[in-house]
Amino acid sequence: MIENPQDRLPGRREVVRVRNLAKSFGENTVLSDVNLTVLEGTVTAMIGPSGAGKSTVLRCMNLLERPDSGTIEIDGHVIDAERRFSNRELFALRRSAGMVFQHFNLFPHMTVLRNVSLPQQRVLGRSKGEADERAMALLTRMGLADKGEQYPNRCSGGQQQRIAIARALALDPKVMLFDEPTSALDPEVGLEVLEVMKELAASGMTMIVVTHEMSFARSVSEDLIVMADGGIIEQGDPKRIMAEPSHPRTQEFLRAVLQR
Amino acid sequence: MLLTVLAGIPLTISVTAVALVIGTIGSLPLLFGILSGNRLVWLIARGIIDLCRGIPIVVWMFILFYGVTIGGTKLSAFGAAVLGLGIVSAAYLAEIFRGAISSVAAGQYEAARALGMTPRAVWGDIVGPQAWRVAIPGYTTYGIGLLKDSSIASTIGVAEMVFRSNSYARTTGEGITVFLVAAAIYVIVSVPVGVLSRKADEKLSAVVAR
Repeated sequence: MIENPQDRLPGRREVVRVRNLAKSFGENTVLSDVNLTVLEGTVTAMIGPSGAGKSTVLRCMNLLERPDSGTIEIDGHVIDAERRFSNRELFALRRSAGMVFQHFNLFPHMTVLRNVSLPQQRVLGRSKGEADERAMALLTRMGLADKGEQYPNRCSGGQQQRIAIARALALDPKVMLFDEPTSALDPEVGLEVLEVMKELAASGMTMIVVTHEMSFARSVSEDLIVMADGGIIEQGDPKRIMAEPSHPRTQEFLRAVLQR
Repeated sequence: MLLTVLAGIPLTISVTAVALVIGTIGSLPLLFGILSGNRLVWLIARGIIDLCRGIPIVVWMFILFYGVTIGGTKLSAFGAAVLGLGIVSAAYLAEIFRGAISSVAAGQYEAARALGMTPRAVWGDIVGPQAWRVAIPGYTTYGIGLLKDSSIASTIGVAEMVFRSNSYARTTGEGITVFLVAAAIYVIVSVPVGVLSRKADEKLSAVVAR
């Protein structure tokens, strides 16, 4: 069953609209006709078996992966995959979305502070002083005030992921995309990242989270998307779907992850 | 005798330095060529690299010295030497830099692009500096090799160390000693370069150690 979030949570602005998204790698179709809408200030969790196309949807949203067809709209910036678009449009779309990766992808040759401040200078044209100040404020919010002069590889995985979150937030994105943010971390260390994400959700940030953390999906997200075989098979209230999934593939998947 | 050999040092050093500058600058267009997604551009760059590398330095120098005239004037011995060494260096250095760039993880490009960085920032701030660190040991090793290869310039009459040692040996008959002195000077010049390179490498890799 697919419930549109607009019907369940009326009166919220649509920040992200993905329409008719399709993508294949050679002969292999990874996404076909994916449609989704994300409302302002909500957390959308995406779950499903690996290979379902969850990460590809996320990576198509900021054009890290070029879709074969379909349109992506984030905060009014629209890109139609089948039309030519300018670099200017591409950068505008990317700037409106912040992305957090499974493997953090911090810049190893810069201090933690520079990791967070340099993109602000290059992308938003902030001065170094302004960027450093904002970086410090965000690192403090992430509980990493004392790590500024360290290099990323001297930090634990959980700290690195929080730095990556700070780096993305520093550009004031409209929506945050999380691509399995805790999958490379020990369960215990993953918790500190989830805490930060909960705090971020509570502050009203619009978030799309690809995850295998079922309790996060159930308790924090307002909208749940289940994907399988390159398409969305179920969408709606997370508690409803987890309690009584309607699609047999969802039932199978949830049995596997919840009863282990 | 020592003074005779030492008098060749300025030319040895300047042939090496100028050739390294020519090689480094020349390697950049070749580098863009072999990183290009355009098949034709790639093929042309690949061809130039294989051609430049395939011809021995001494042959390059002879061709440039005896065969090339610009506006009626022949290339000077110094000019032919640095150009010959520079051409071969450009080809080798392009390969060294290409290897260094391919060692930078794909996640680095993705993170930089996802942040909305322009290609200029992606290369200038993220990929370039990381690749340069990887390239330093190979680059200095090549530089030390070039210092020794600069002796090939003696074959077309550039009065660097080997040229002077050779003429000293011929006039006095003291063959072995003068070349031992020259050998010692090559070592004395190249060891500090190697030490500096290793220091830089240790310092940089300590910072970004995995």
